[in-house]
Amino acid sequence: MRLGIIGCGVLGRFHAPMAVKAGFQIVACTDPVRANANVLAAEHNAVVVDDALALCALDIVDVVAICTPTHVHAQIVVAAAQNGKHIFCEKPFCRTLPQCEEALAAVKKAGVKLFVGHVVRYFQEFCAIKHQIDDGKVGKPGFVRTFRGGQSPLGEGSWFRDFDKSGGVTLDCIIHDFDWLRYVFGDPDRVFAQDLRERIDEGIDYAMVTLRFKSGLIATVTGSWAHPSGFKVKAEVCGDKGMITYDSSEAPIASQLRGAGGTTPGVVLPASPVADSPYYLEWKDFHGWLEGKHTPRVTPEDAVWAVRMGLGAIESAETGQPVSF
Amino acid sequence: MTKLGIMSFAHMHAYSYAASIKQLDGVELATIWDDDAARGKTVAAQYGVPFHADLNAFLKSDVEGVIICSENIKHRAMTEAAANAGKWILCEKPLATTIGDAQAMVDLCKSKGVGLGTAFPCRHVPTLMAVKVEIADGKYGQIYAATCTNNGSFPGGWFADEAQSGGGATMDHTVHVADALRWMLGREFTQVYCECDNLIRHGIGTDDVGSLHLEMEGGIKITHVASWNRAKSFPTWGDVTMEIIGEKGVVTVDAFNQKINLYNDEAMKTQWVGFGDNSDFGLVRDFANSIRERRDPAASGVDGLRAVEVTVAAYKSAKRKARVTV
Repeated sequence: MRLGIIGCGVLGRFHAPMAVKAGFQIVACTDPVRANANVLAAEHNAVVVDDALALCALDIVDVVAICTPTHVHAQIVVAAAQNGKHIFCEKPFCRTLPQCEEALAAVKKAGVKLFVGHVVRYFQEFCAIKHQIDDGKVGKPGFVRTFRGGQSPLGEGSWFRDFDKSGGVTLDCIIHDFDWLRYVFGDPDRVFAQDLRERIDEGIDYAMVTLRFKSGLIATVTGSWAHPSGFKVKAEVCGDKGMITYDSSEAPIASQLRGAGGTTPGVVLPASPVADSPYYLEWKDFHGWLEGKHTPRVTPEDAVWAVRMGLGAIESAETGQPVSF
Repeated sequence: MTKLGIMSFAHMHAYSYAASIKQLDGVELATIWDDDAARGKTVAAQYGVPFHADLNAFLKSDVEGVIICSENIKHRAMTEAAANAGKWILCEKPLATTIGDAQAMVDLCKSKGVGLGTAFPCRHVPTLMAVKVEIADGKYGQIYAATCTNNGSFPGGWFADEAQSGGGATMDHTVHVADALRWMLGREFTQVYCECDNLIRHGIGTDDVGSLHLEMEGGIKITHVASWNRAKSFPTWGDVTMEIIGEKGVVTVDAFNQKINLYNDEAMKTQWVGFGDNSDFGLVRDFANSIRERRDPAASGVDGLRAVEVTVAAYKSAKRKARVTV
């Protein structure tokens, strides 16, 4: 399975070895910053092309990985589908619902396979939480609370800080939690949210979201790009027979570096290594689907739902009223 | 020596207040009245003080101040009786279950010239006091948002009987944080949205989880979880937590996270044993001082009323499925 990487920034470079481990061969790379594409292509003995459209048109490519800013996902998905390529797309699937519909229609028309990287479904800690719930260990879950975030990604001038491109912390970061919550607890009924998107230029966004599920369950989701440093994830599930809590800051390894060589003094870097990275597991799942072995854990419809939940939260934060799905 | 009396032991906090009064210098637990005579006699014997079955006799005694720990719905009637007898009053939270009751209590105490306080011990918790000072000193700059919780275990009994409590976890566990935020940030609440329901212990008769979205003057955005969602096997009763997002940084406070972990084979669950200061000491001391100084306690009746307004708005919002103005 020959893979072309579109977007060779942080995520493109991160995904590449995961895809290779899962059985893909990287044959082409493209990035508006040519040097990024060159570095990755050299590592994998791949070709570099000018842009996404050129990569989608390559005969040597069977599958594309879209690791670009969110707002251009849709047009690349359409181009890839029209060229008969299978697609791995980073989350969120698209920036708007019409874009999701257009992209999904193109995928269906072309009969290609689309996998969107809702990787939290593969994180071992979240699998463990789901397993205990499914096993009835907390009884019927009634309330869930999650936190995800830390520092604003990348720096000043980054596309993440352009709300029209990224959708802020709500659409970019806690879409992970929206997807995982729907995966475990079913469809949501309505959402209410508040956020600090008016400060996104300063590198600050903070989203506070309450979801009400059709089952009655209440979920409170907090997402932060407001912390001066670090990244952490927390989850809590309360049921009629028990509770589950998880906090990534209680990691098995914590290192603290002295302030030499440009590092920030006193920053604690937690680590929780596992044999199989959840990013590898999502690539493996996608690979198995392409080989016709099984259906994937994340369907294209799931990815559209996650965007719908994120955009619902964004709309609620704008209007100050709940949004029904 | 300031002589205090306790009216009703329906609320379990009464036991902690009684124990605090017994341990503190300058205050004396002089007498107890309870509309449940059997309970009143038992606790009076336990604390070695006289019990009054008759409210008038209790109010004619020489106590200068009373602490009211009845079911929520009775707070108004007991406050009126005590105010009419010229006693200083510290009322368990929530001050009342309706804005009308809370306002009437505030108005009567004012007209009778007696102090009225609401039992908000958070104002006497050193961790919250420290963060309040840091915010006031500008350490975090302008405050933009906060995520808060007041989780607890299910208290049972009258707490889940709406006729006596006025509501469930949202009624019980919103007011502490609402008051603490008003006190720490110096702003009033303007808007409330709330989702609440009975989702953990089914069929208790009231909500046991509430997720609130609040806005304060100046546009400060706040979420708060008010719950009785802690499992019986959870290592402690619950929590008060805040994550405050400011211009210059973020501060998180887990107000009662001053604890050791206890692993006891008989309990067969991990237990957190607190070593922090007893905030009820601060509450009782301030109440005694307020009597001597002829002033309202640190958290006044009006502060209690403001917190009630938030709770009432929360239930109104949950019913209407819409954000409402406080």
